[in-house]
Amino acid sequence: MIEIRGLTKRYGATTAVDDLTVTVAPGRVTGFLGPNGAGKSTTLRIVLGLVHPTAGTATVAGRPYAALDHPLRRVGALLDARAVHPGRTARHHLEALAVTNGISRARVEEVLGLVGLADRADDRAGGFSLGMGQRLGIAAALLGDPEVLVLDEPVNGLDTDGIRWVRTLVRGLAAEGRTVLVSSHLMAEVELTVDHLVVIGRGRLLADAPVADVVQRGAGERVRVASPAPDLPRLLERAGAVVTAEAGGTWRVDGTTAAAVGELAAAHGLVLHRLEPARSTLEEAYTAMTHDSVEHEAGR
Amino acid sequence: MRGALAGEVRKLVTIRSLRGTLAASGVVTVAIAVFVGLTGSLQPDDTVLGGALTGVAVAQLLAGVLGALVMTSEHGSGTLAATVAAVPRRRVVLGAKAVVAAVTATAVGLVASGLALVVGTALIDGDHAPGEPFPALVGVALSLGAVALFGLALGTLVRHPGGAVAAVIGVVLLPQLLGPLFGDLQPWVMGLSPATALQKMTQSSDASADVAGTLGPWPSLLAVLGVALVLLALADRSLARRDL
Repeated sequence: MIEIRGLTKRYGATTAVDDLTVTVAPGRVTGFLGPNGAGKSTTLRIVLGLVHPTAGTATVAGRPYAALDHPLRRVGALLDARAVHPGRTARHHLEALAVTNGISRARVEEVLGLVGLADRADDRAGGFSLGMGQRLGIAAALLGDPEVLVLDEPVNGLDTDGIRWVRTLVRGLAAEGRTVLVSSHLMAEVELTVDHLVVIGRGRLLADAPVADVVQRGAGERVRVASPAPDLPRLLERAGAVVTAEAGGTWRVDGTTAAAVGELAAAHGLVLHRLEPARSTLEEAYTAMTHDSVEHEAGR
Repeated sequence: MRGALAGEVRKLVTIRSLRGTLAASGVVTVAIAVFVGLTGSLQPDDTVLGGALTGVAVAQLLAGVLGALVMTSEHGSGTLAATVAAVPRRRVVLGAKAVVAAVTATAVGLVASGLALVVGTALIDGDHAPGEPFPALVGVALSLGAVALFGLALGTLVRHPGGAVAAVIGVVLLPQLLGPLFGDLQPWVMGLSPATALQKMTQSSDASADVAGTLGPWPSLLAVLGVALVLLALADRSLARRDL
């Protein structure tokens, strides 16, 4: 459980996090989304006791992070996969962390195996690819077998197999009853991996809801239509829908239902080759939600 | 604290540049003793002890570099966040680094200056007064530990490896270089310098009372340790307030 209450962080005149209140519950994967500069990293760093908040509190497992005894056994974090001394081997990097929290060398070997780095454990981290660095970072997060996991962009730089591996891992950790908070920019991946979403923009909370709700809320009604009748788009638009031609000769029709399209076609005696309700994607819902809070938006 | 210490020891021994700096600090001390002995270049009024320990001035600088790298290697690679996440009490992190840097620099200094004295006694011709090696050797080694703390504190304050190394070299050497510019204040400026404390400890003729002050070698070393602790206190404050 991660509890964030009224959290605010200002850097001079800039407010990075603005009165944020969120509870991250155990037993499910929570996605943490927001445009660049929305305050995600700052929030995660406050949770881990690395950044001092201007106001508000963040507690992990019921206590402020800095008050935890052997914090690596309670909370595992991946913040920046490149944050490894390039001259140190993967094994030595993990051993130096493990020993500070009384974690055994056997556990170091275990996590090296778990992330698939057992063969490269004695190679210097400086020679690692981004994907291998990411695996090492995940190994460090898992080191203390923690009940809370905070993973900032865990699939960054991973290939398809790696992404699927992280997905399985993260879902497995949540299924064991752990609290898992994952930030990501890859909406398709988030949609496959997470159960619950926390979305922030300009440091403020935009959504704290199950993924399905967020997708639905952003969606509105949408239908996909294929028809040989050239008049159909004009008729649909006259009825108030928005029609967009898609690759493959279909039309995407927003703001109406399959039933309404079918009735309209029947009334005009038009043939339909295809008529199906279309689900909007998380990416669309997310884009609509964060549209106003994108930092670099023109004209601001 | 024990865990934090063990972690810092692991970090020190698993990076080549840190091991190398520590080893160089020892090797240079002995090598310069050999050089002084073989060249017969020692001034007639100098002691065998002072001649044999000529190289510890360089070793002292390297101890400062070691101290600086112990902290800045974490800044450079971004691992300080992971270190503090593992040990959230930052004072414990700094304290563990201080113990590890100072103890290793002192230990290497003690062994190396002992070896240098053995080598120097064998190679430097017998016309020179022997000097009094005990407990001066301990003081020499401790002065290396003190400069390692200077380096650690400056590394914490400056954060950048290059900047921290430059700062520690400046703090060790500049008082001696600039001392003569201060006229009557010269003994005060030079007296607080770690390099001067070291010269007094080795009973070198370079540290005469008119340039280096009348403070004895041990009070001088204590003064240097005091400066190191003040710098560490500043570093502690800076580290505690910082966002990582």
